Amino acid sequence: MLKIEGLHANVEGNEILKGLDMTVNPGEVHAIMGPNGAGKSTLGYVLSAREEYEVTAGKVSFKEQDLLELEVDERARAGVFLAFQYPVEIPGVSNMEFLKESVNAVRKERGQEALTAAEFLKRAKEACKQVNLPLDFLKRGVNEGFSGGEKKRNEIMQMIMLEPTLCILDESDSGLDIDALKVVADGVNSQRSDDRSFIVITHYQRLLDFIKPDFVHILADGKIVKSGGPELAKEVEASGYAWLENHEEASA
Amino acid sequence: MSEQIEQAISREYEAGFVSDIESDTFPPGLDEDVIRRISKMKDEPEWMLEWRLQAFRSWQKMEEPDWAHLGYEPIDYQEISYYSAPKSMKDRPKSLDEVDPELLRTYEKLGIPLHEQEVLAGVAMDVVFDSVSVVTTFREKLAEAGVIFCPISEAIREYPELVKKYLGTVVPRTDNFFAALNSAVFTDGSFVYIPKGVRCPMELSTYFRINELNTGQFERTLIVAEEGSYVSYLEGCTAPMRDENQLHAAVVELVALDNSEIKYSTVQNWYPGDENGVGGIYNFVTKRGVAETNAKISWTQVETGSAITWKYPSCILRGDNSVGEFYSVALTRARQQADTGTKMIHLGKNTTSTIISKGISAGNSSNAYRGLVKMGPNADGARNFTECDSLLIGDTCAAHTFPYIESANPSAIVEHEATTSTVSDDQLFLCQQRGLDIEKAISMIVNGFCKDVFRELPMEFAVEAGKLLEISLEGSVG
Amino acid sequence: MSQWLASVIDRANSVDDWLRPVRQEAVAQLKQTAWPTRRTEAWRYTSLHALKDLTLAEPTAAPASTEAPAITDLNSLDIVFVDGVPTTDIGSLNTPEGVRIYALDNASEEAQTQAKKVMNQAKNASHLFGLVNDALAQQGVVIDVADGAIVEQPIRVVNYVSAGVESHNRVLVKLGAKAQATIIEHGAGQGNSMNTAFAEYLVGDEAKLEHYRFALHGADAIHIGGSHFKLGEASRLNSTIVGYGSQVSRIDTDIVHAAEHADAKMNCIYLLAPSEHFDLHSLIEHAEPNGTTEQNARGIVGDKGRAVFSGRILIHRDAQKTLAELHNRNLLLSRGAQVSTKPALEIYADDVQCAHGATIAEIEEDDLYYLQTRGISREQALVMLNFGFIQELVKQMPNKALSAWLEPLLRERFKTMEPA
Repeated sequence: MLKIEGLHANVEGNEILKGLDMTVNPGEVHAIMGPNGAGKSTLGYVLSAREEYEVTAGKVSFKEQDLLELEVDERARAGVFLAFQYPVEIPGVSNMEFLKESVNAVRKERGQEALTAAEFLKRAKEACKQVNLPLDFLKRGVNEGFSGGEKKRNEIMQMIMLEPTLCILDESDSGLDIDALKVVADGVNSQRSDDRSFIVITHYQRLLDFIKPDFVHILADGKIVKSGGPELAKEVEASGYAWLENHEEASA
Repeated sequence: MSEQIEQAISREYEAGFVSDIESDTFPPGLDEDVIRRISKMKDEPEWMLEWRLQAFRSWQKMEEPDWAHLGYEPIDYQEISYYSAPKSMKDRPKSLDEVDPELLRTYEKLGIPLHEQEVLAGVAMDVVFDSVSVVTTFREKLAEAGVIFCPISEAIREYPELVKKYLGTVVPRTDNFFAALNSAVFTDGSFVYIPKGVRCPMELSTYFRINELNTGQFERTLIVAEEGSYVSYLEGCTAPMRDENQLHAAVVELVALDNSEIKYSTVQNWYPGDENGVGGIYNFVTKRGVAETNAKISWTQVETGSAITWKYPSCILRGDNSVGEFYSVALTRARQQADTGTKMIHLGKNTTSTIISKGISAGNSSNAYRGLVKMGPNADGARNFTECDSLLIGDTCAAHTFPYIESANPSAIVEHEATTSTVSDDQLFLCQQRGLDIEKAISMIVNGFCKDVFRELPMEFAVEAGKLLEISLEGSVG
Repeated sequence: MSQWLASVIDRANSVDDWLRPVRQEAVAQLKQTAWPTRRTEAWRYTSLHALKDLTLAEPTAAPASTEAPAITDLNSLDIVFVDGVPTTDIGSLNTPEGVRIYALDNASEEAQTQAKKVMNQAKNASHLFGLVNDALAQQGVVIDVADGAIVEQPIRVVNYVSAGVESHNRVLVKLGAKAQATIIEHGAGQGNSMNTAFAEYLVGDEAKLEHYRFALHGADAIHIGGSHFKLGEASRLNSTIVGYGSQVSRIDTDIVHAAEHADAKMNCIYLLAPSEHFDLHSLIEHAEPNGTTEQNARGIVGDKGRAVFSGRILIHRDAQKTLAELHNRNLLLSRGAQVSTKPALEIYADDVQCAHGATIAEIEEDDLYYLQTRGISREQALVMLNFGFIQELVKQMPNKALSAWLEPLLRERFKTMEPA
């Protein structure tokens, strides 16, 4: 489904990704771990075409398409969803109105009919329930005055509504207490299926107790330095990222 | 990113066509004779002519104001024609069947069907084309409730006592340069009278269209709400695309007697001129209302058109407990300039006013809020709350806020807040990441910014206004 | 033209000193300037009627003092002017290291060179009374702080004006790169007097200026002046302006961000009674990117006092990423008191965060109630809340000796303002 080869990317002239390779098949959950500043969030932004993130080399294909050729909204409609670490507020635009536009834009791309108001509302209510958000959140401005945890749950709610094929979760666990974390994880797990893949970006192993990854990759200094199964995450928990320095020395 | 936004907000002006209609048009120029001829065309009584002439004499001694944050070439008042009417209107058609079909087609094209069975249910409409009213719908139905809704020229003939009693009492003839000019040369506009205790059974609406080249439109509207009555009124306006600037100088007076309420909404879409600032309407308007005891006046405006907008719909809160409101969205783009806002003059005790102003500037435009909140010495317990927000789109536009706040009463409370912001890259990215294209994303963010104002528009028009803003912000992304 | 202004021009023409070119330039402009009326935007709320045909010549009372008012623990270097004439021997001051102070009158070559570097660099060129000051000020002081000099000792310029006297003073300050200094403009006057006092500050790159202006004039005085700042790259300004009202009292403060990353903070306090007038005009101008400004102006107006505040934030097209905020809060204590406030934003750059707020109010009943439930009498609660509103800004003054001196002074004044 997603194939990243030799990806290099710059932000404001600084190279952040330095030759990243990765393949994600349908239905797989890949966790990306690594120390701060390793380029984890950059990967999410590059995959969703954020303007300041400039790809200088490498290839990304997504469902047989050249992903890098597509604009932000085109990628979204093609099925790439990014759950933001820090979602912005859009004053005055209600969550409902925003989602409805968004869902219908994505559906149109897939050749599906726009949802009727009733059907949309039914699904939205359902999705809210799934992530434990009160229904009045639909009427409130997008992320306006939401707490950190509410913003994160709102992101997952949107993911459920948009039914993407590739979900990138950018530190969806940061700032959450254990109960909120479970809600987020349950939301994500409910969406796992044979044709939907996940890239779960996280600093801590904690989230992976709840969202079981198929693969774990360690990203350091713009490259994947180690890949493995879920046991790799445990290793990280036990030993932290300090071993990376030795690893770099070893590989240097 | 800002380049993309610029492209997203370029647009076509959809109401810019010219109707091929034969008109009787005065040659350009203004003197007492022209005023006498206007008065004669309208079959006016002598007192009205005298009133106009006095206004004209005052106007000649007045100077055009220059305090607004606007720049434009001086207007030559002798180059303007002060009267133009379709030839077919000479005999004052009695019903819609007698109206020139080309005129009807014009309104159809503008999306304003005039046949009663076709129009929005519950909206009565007066339609003004250049200097004359073409038709006023639902008059019989309104008459049953005792409501008078007719062209002001007709009211001067039919209800002279009412007109005499109120005309010029809210906006005096010599109030300002443009009001004086209007008082001298006004041609048509609407007159509304709601009797005591009557809740007007329908929305009232006037649609103004300028068609003829080189004419000015000088409409005058007078709305009187008797004790305990209620009316909601809406005006709309458009004009053809031309390279010449055209002047529109209107006066609107609202009289809200004890316990009455007037809700006045405007969706202004005059031709704004082209990308380089060529052409467009110069819109210099004086709007004011007086609210007596327990009365309420609410102004809502959505201003997207005009090359120049100079307009300050105001409330004189004379009666105790009276309420004034001003809700405004002003969008400027390309080379448009707007200087608009309100005055809330608190004279009575426990008077309250609310001002919500949302300015959106894009392109090379300039958008200013100018307002006055004044608490008189007797305005015990009066309150004002003002919020002025500006949204700047792109780095070549300008947004200004010029509030004047004066208080002479220790128990009055005034609160004013103003902010500026931009459509942030983060907001756009979030919207696009959820699959929305950039045009949709911008229009959604801008609509959200304006929500507090749109909420105040009558239901039928809130949708219109939202669409208008969307059209204004729509266009081709290259 | 007003009689007084005509006499200004006559008097300026008769002064022949090294500043004659500046005076002549000002005279030429004054001749073209109409006497302000209520229609003149800059003077909309301040009548100059009292000044129009004013003639003051001789002191009608002896100066109250020729010494600087004592402020405990301030330990400032004082330069005193009485009725426009220095009573301090400026030439023989014991100046801190890195500081040079010159008199404007009889200026040496060196003093002239230093003065010219600052004069009319920060002041608004079209301010009517700035021009009057250009035309007539013969006395004043030039303070030059060398690059990198960290001056601990505050420098205070005291300006007394006696009844019956018209006087004009100028303060010119240049702070070198990375220099730090504290400058206090301390004005006081009595009886029917007229004074213009303008100060200009060039703040060098990465320099830090702590500034105070006290305009504590008597009720019958006419005082018009300004403090004008031009900020260099990454410089810091912290300014406090405190004004009593008087017959006509008008102060202009201009803060111009002429380079990137400068940071300015200004607090203004005014307490007006019984029929005093105070007009504060502030301009915050960001010409370059990444600057920040925060201004708080608070006033209490009692009796028949009248406060005017005009605060303008002007952001030029290039000044992206500016943060600028201005807040004006007023309390009216009595019927007859008036406030006119005019905050304005003029924004030509999109990626900026600017805001202003203005309120005019009386103390909230809820707040009063809260204090009363804690056993405080209503009268006492009113004083606490009203004065607390001013005290908050007094406490923010970085110089503790000054705040300790000012607080009781303002408290005393506030007590006389309480409505009967």
